[in-house]
Amino acid sequence: MSILFTIFALAACLGAVAVVISQSMARMAFWLVVSLGSTAGLFFLADADFVAAAQLLIYVGGTLVLLVFGVMLTASGPYLKIQTSPAETVVAGLIGLLFLFMVFATVSGVDWEGTKTKMLAENGQSTPTEKFDDQSEGDTLRPLGLALLGVRPDSPNSPGYLLPFEIASVHLLVVLIGAAYLARAKRRGDGS
Amino acid sequence: MQPDLTSYLLVGAVLFVCGVVCMATKRNGIGVLMGVELVLNGANVNFVAFSKYTALGLDGQVFSLFVIVLAAAEAAVALAIALNFYNNHLTIDVDRANKLKG
Amino acid sequence: MVGETLKFWLMIAWLLPLAGFAVEIFFGFYSKNPRGSKAAAWMAVACIGIGFLCSANALRIWGNANEWCVLESHDTHGEHAEGEDGHGEEAHEHKAADENSHDEHAVSATDHDAEKTGQTAYSGEIYRLATFGSLTIAMDYYIDSLTLVMFTMVTFIATCIHLFAIGYMSDELVDDYVDHFAHTADGKHVHRPGRFYRFFAFLSLFCFAMLGLVLAGNIFQVFIFWELVGICSFLLIGFYTERKSASNAANKAFIMNRIGDFGFLIGLMVLWTFFGTFRFGDTAQDNVVTEQGLFSMVHRDAESHDFMTDADGEVLITDPSGHVLKDEAGKARTIPYFLLVIAGLGVFAGCVGKSAQFPLQTWLPDAMEGPTPVSALVHSATMVAAGVYLAGRFFPMFAHEVLLTIAYTGCITLFIAATIAVVATDIKKVLAYSTISQLGYMMLGIGVFGWAAGLFHLITHAFFKSLMFLCSGSVIHGCHHEQEMPKMGGLLKKMPITALTMLIGVFAISGFPMLFGLHFSGFHSKDAIVASALAFVIANPIHYLLFVIPLLTAGITAFYMFRLWFFTFWGAPRDQHVHDHAHESPWIMAAPLVILAVPAWLCAYGGESGFLYGMLTGDEPAHLATGVTAAGKIVLPSHHEIHQVHGDAGVLALLAAFSGALIAYILYGTTLVNVEAMKKQMSIVHGFLTNKWHFDDLYDALFMRPAHKVAAFCAWIDKTIFDTILHGLAKAMIVIANWDRMFDEKFVDGFVNLVGDATQSVGSSLKVVQTGKLRQYVMFIVLGVVALFAVVFSTFPG
Repeated sequence: MSILFTIFALAACLGAVAVVISQSMARMAFWLVVSLGSTAGLFFLADADFVAAAQLLIYVGGTLVLLVFGVMLTASGPYLKIQTSPAETVVAGLIGLLFLFMVFATVSGVDWEGTKTKMLAENGQSTPTEKFDDQSEGDTLRPLGLALLGVRPDSPNSPGYLLPFEIASVHLLVVLIGAAYLARAKRRGDGS
Repeated sequence: MQPDLTSYLLVGAVLFVCGVVCMATKRNGIGVLMGVELVLNGANVNFVAFSKYTALGLDGQVFSLFVIVLAAAEAAVALAIALNFYNNHLTIDVDRANKLKG
Repeated sequence: MVGETLKFWLMIAWLLPLAGFAVEIFFGFYSKNPRGSKAAAWMAVACIGIGFLCSANALRIWGNANEWCVLESHDTHGEHAEGEDGHGEEAHEHKAADENSHDEHAVSATDHDAEKTGQTAYSGEIYRLATFGSLTIAMDYYIDSLTLVMFTMVTFIATCIHLFAIGYMSDELVDDYVDHFAHTADGKHVHRPGRFYRFFAFLSLFCFAMLGLVLAGNIFQVFIFWELVGICSFLLIGFYTERKSASNAANKAFIMNRIGDFGFLIGLMVLWTFFGTFRFGDTAQDNVVTEQGLFSMVHRDAESHDFMTDADGEVLITDPSGHVLKDEAGKARTIPYFLLVIAGLGVFAGCVGKSAQFPLQTWLPDAMEGPTPVSALVHSATMVAAGVYLAGRFFPMFAHEVLLTIAYTGCITLFIAATIAVVATDIKKVLAYSTISQLGYMMLGIGVFGWAAGLFHLITHAFFKSLMFLCSGSVIHGCHHEQEMPKMGGLLKKMPITALTMLIGVFAISGFPMLFGLHFSGFHSKDAIVASALAFVIANPIHYLLFVIPLLTAGITAFYMFRLWFFTFWGAPRDQHVHDHAHESPWIMAAPLVILAVPAWLCAYGGESGFLYGMLTGDEPAHLATGVTAAGKIVLPSHHEIHQVHGDAGVLALLAAFSGALIAYILYGTTLVNVEAMKKQMSIVHGFLTNKWHFDDLYDALFMRPAHKVAAFCAWIDKTIFDTILHGLAKAMIVIANWDRMFDEKFVDGFVNLVGDATQSVGSSLKVVQTGKLRQYVMFIVLGVVALFAVVFSTFPG
């Protein structure tokens, strides 16, 4: 477990760093694939099999292809490079490091076990134990589907996610139409 | 060592920061979009980690699913905007998009 | 219901001229040939003519309803009016009278008195205009025999004068009328459109106002129509408004009347304050008095017939049956005697103005600037007589002092006016002064308790004076607007109808008796007045002037009237040019003269036992018959006492009249005396008289010049003091305004600008932050989050 986690974690982190560092859009896209794919691996390790699958399908399979299309459509040359000034890079890097440090400090400063116990005590309810049980471990498809339909067998007090689900579906439809409208083919200087 | 919550969070943090830096340094619009994807991924890692290691339970995964959906939607719209911008300016350099400068 | 029927007919007679006025004044413009059409005139004639028929009918109804008892009550002396006809407008009334007279003869005198207590006066409300608290302003009617006689007289005379005016005003029937007496600034004659229809519209309006005045059932309504006839008079005097003299005369008439009307208003205030009503008579329903009028609020006691008073000498206010009214506190309602006198004097002041009595008489001669029909209708027969009418109508409320004032005012007026008339040369002016003098006679008659005599003379005078004015109008018309008598003479052959009808008028006004066995109307009426005066003077010897002067003036009257006639129609022509062009008037002007001559001669047929006198006295105030003999006050003679001296007075008056006429004949009818030389010898007196006793000069010195002085002083004060203050104030205001402006600009604007500038500078400095660089925004966000965290962690460590 730990070895797999280490590998995926390192791949995700290094891929992300590589995305930042690389200047070519194509490479950036490649490293992004690496990073997002590794993240999907991390999801598998965290027993979130459906999320991981969705990550692979939507991100790696959908969004990234979309981005690559974008790269190709907007590239005026085979290897488009728009240089950033070194000063900006340095400043951005420093600020990034500052932020990273802050988050690290925060994350490591919080007593996660204590917080969890306290939350349980306050809610005073019989929530499932911290993990999925062995039988259902890694099988989140059915509970997620039920949750999106508003049924929560694992957490009776929770109202479910039917409404957000519906909203998300409408949202996607709107985005579909909007994006198609924005990106429709039109000649420059035509009309407006 | 077994992976625990902190290590997940640290990975998420690295992804997040990389995304932010990517947004801050890339002049290419598509690059900025990639940075956004990274940031969202970092957040997702956190959600999943909380789902596994805290009392959040399945809710974390549901949230990460919504994030993924919205990220896809965002990517589609943002790419459409980028293409539009490119059509109008023949470039994808976000520094050229300063019409709203005060 | 006799009252309703009478009201109906009189209302028609009253309102028709108003309808005529509205049509004539507004639709005059819309006819095809508005300036040249006589339609307006005929409409006016029709309105007033129908009004006359209605009035006569109302008179007949009234007489039938009262069994003509008024005629019976006077047959104790003199012969009764047997069926005589040819009596002008009263012919058919006479027939009605005769039908009833047969059975009346048998009825004893006491029965007559009992009948006389029956209702002969009708009053009530036509339309209520408004009610303010206890003050009710309403159109009322008060119909008694006096009202009916006045109605008939006014409508009859007005009809004749309307007809006459159609001929007289016919030169106005043009689109371009040249006024030879008015000049523009460059000395040319004024050209203006003819005003034929407008003249008749005004006449109709006047008829409406005059009839309303007569019909009025409360003193306030009288006041309203009083002013309305005043304004009609103003409009008609100033009819030739382009002539300076005409517009001045109109103003003078109006302003002089204002003076009297001011007194009238004071009287009204007193009356309303103490009596709480303006009505004359009681309004009764089913013999129950619903609203009490003024006349029944003062009662006279049975012995002295003076006002009922309480211990303090205040006059008691009573209900119709003589019981004293109580106020809320249970005390008897009274009016102080002096206030009753003031009320009477106030109302009489209005009469003085309207009837041109001394000292407000000067407007009437000037009013002759109006067209002659106006002089005949308004300024001799009707409007000026309205003052006498009101004095007669309001007689029950007059106290002794008021009556004495009336008597002396009339006495002074009749003398002054008669003397001026002697020297006047303008034919209309002579008649105007004669009118004033005769009005003085009427006032004197009323003042000396000859109520019926005064009103009798009012009616007879209306007939013969309007006749004479129309004759003078005919002369003026025939002589092409020549009014000066010294340029006339010898017109008898040129215009015989005018001359003869005028002669009838002259005989009438002079008080001559028989002609063909029929007494002239003036003989009866003037005799009655002189007899009343004589009885009064016998009862109160100290006031002997009240008899002597009228008697003397009776001679003067005969003198100046015959002088006028001889001057105009007799002798040799003085101005050959005028004489050559003189001509008799057309039939439409001559016919009214003939028609009017009949009643002018015969309307008083029978004298004090005749129809007219009987009608007039049918509703006379009750205390007249008995006289008043209050202790310590002037004695007012009774009918009996007056009748006793009637014969003596008549002889004296006749002597005076004959001698006056004789002198006039000697001076002007023959060439025995050189009049011019006499004039020179008596130049002081002559000048004094031709200057009208210097009344105009006196008023000029007394009122006009002080007024001008005061006005000049006020103007000086205005210019020097008030203007200075006002200019100073204005300057101060400018200074303050400047300060205010500075404050505005410096402080208010400064503050607002400061805020604006600050906002703008903040905005322009903040806009730098909006770099438009997407990546920088990301950096800012990150830095912001970091800073937030730093703050949170440093604030809540742990």
